[in-house]
This record gives sequence, C-alpha cells and structure tokens, in this order.
Amino acid sequence: MAGSPSPLTTHVLNTAMGVPCSNMALSLYRQDPSTNAWNLITTGTTNADGRCPGLITKQIFTSGVYRMRFETAQYWESIEETCFYPYVEIAFTINDPGQKYHIPLLLSRFSYSTYRGS
Amino acid sequence: MTSADPNPLTTHVLNTGDGVPAAKMDVSLHRLDSTLMIWNMLSVGTTNEDGRCSGLVSREAFSPGMYKLRFETGSYWENMGQNSFYPYVEVVFTITETEQRFHLPLLMSRFSYSTYRGS
Repeated sequence: MAGSPSPLTTHVLNTAMGVPCSNMALSLYRQDPSTNAWNLITTGTTNADGRCPGLITKQIFTSGVYRMRFETAQYWESIEETCFYPYVEIAFTINDPGQKYHIPLLLSRFSYSTYRGS
Repeated sequence: MTSADPNPLTTHVLNTGDGVPAAKMDVSLHRLDSTLMIWNMLSVGTTNEDGRCSGLVSREAFSPGMYKLRFETGSYWENMGQNSFYPYVEVVFTITETEQRFHLPLLMSRFSYSTYRGS
C-alpha cells in the first residue's frame, strides 16, 4: 500500500473495556447515484490499534454517498460476548473529496456513537 | 408491569446540536425476513414535539428477530435549512427476549450521533 494515506480513516474503540477493537471486519461501499445500488470499494480488518489504513485512495475518492459497515456482533462473539447490534452501518455524504474525513466508532455491547473527527 | 406494556419498542430523538427534541422526523421500523433476506417495513411514523414516536410495533407483533430503525435525519436537517454529514441513520439490532422493553434513543447533531439501549 504505497502512496499517500487514505483520505478516509476510521478508528474503532471498545468503550466498555477501554481498548481498541482489534480484528474487527469492516467494509466500505459507495452508492451509484444513477441506480442507487451500493458498490463495494474495499474490505478490511482493524489492526491492534483499532484502525484500518488504506480504506480508499485519493484517486477514486469522489463525491457521493458512502457507507461503512462494521461487523460488531462478530467482534464481540470472538471475545465470547453478545452484542445488541449485529452490525453497524454508517452512511455519510462526501461533498468535498479534497478534505480528510475521520469516522470513529465508539462501541460497547449496548451502545455506539460516531462523529466526524480529525 | 413490563410484560403488559403494549409498547415494547420506543425511541426518542434528540437534536444535541441545538439542545432540543428532534420533532417532525420520519422514522420507520423494519424486520428482517431471514428466509428471504429482505427487510419488511412494519411501521412508519413521525416524531412529535418531544422527539418521540409511539406505536412502532405492538406487543403481539413483536417477535424475535433482527430489526432496523431508520431515521430520516438528512431530511430533518434540510427542513431546517442546514446540511448534515449523514443522509439517514439506520440502527440494526437483535431482539431475543420479546417480553422486555426496548428504549432506543438517538442523540444526533449535524456531524455526530449516538444510540444506546436505555429504559
């Protein structure tokens, strides 16, 4: 994964245990504006720090509606717990692909939050 | 009391950017048909002045399964003449204990939101 860093980043945190969510599967989609179908851009897994570098390249980061999907129940099951949310999907609109967008997910078994960060 | 509660699923939408309830927001409840893998819409409503929307599902219809609450947050902010980062918010959750109550608030601003299982 050479080249400049992804203009879109995430950071998944397990707020119940006070640790990053490592080994969580996630995927990024972009909506086709003419058909409204969702096209898969990339899949990945969070590293030990709960991050997933290389989500998208500047070249293909166009304006549009995106969706990031986090396999939250699978993550909690891997540490032998259940989760109220089978997965979390966050849909967001990119109007200016020249900016950087940081979309964290703060997660527990019964709650989550997200925000546009930096 | 909880087993007799006719409203097993409630929500409360708060506009944390302005510190007010999010009134007049369209909300819909869907349940996943796990055989066909498609979402069936169970109900659609609009939040009242207090940001609440009642009657989403009856106790009788509240079977175990995967549900989705969809909040038309993008339209809400557009109606106030503002843009927002999220075109909509969907919260997907799994119900196994149908005799319980589930209160699922949404706290949201133009650039953030959070949800939790409350009471």
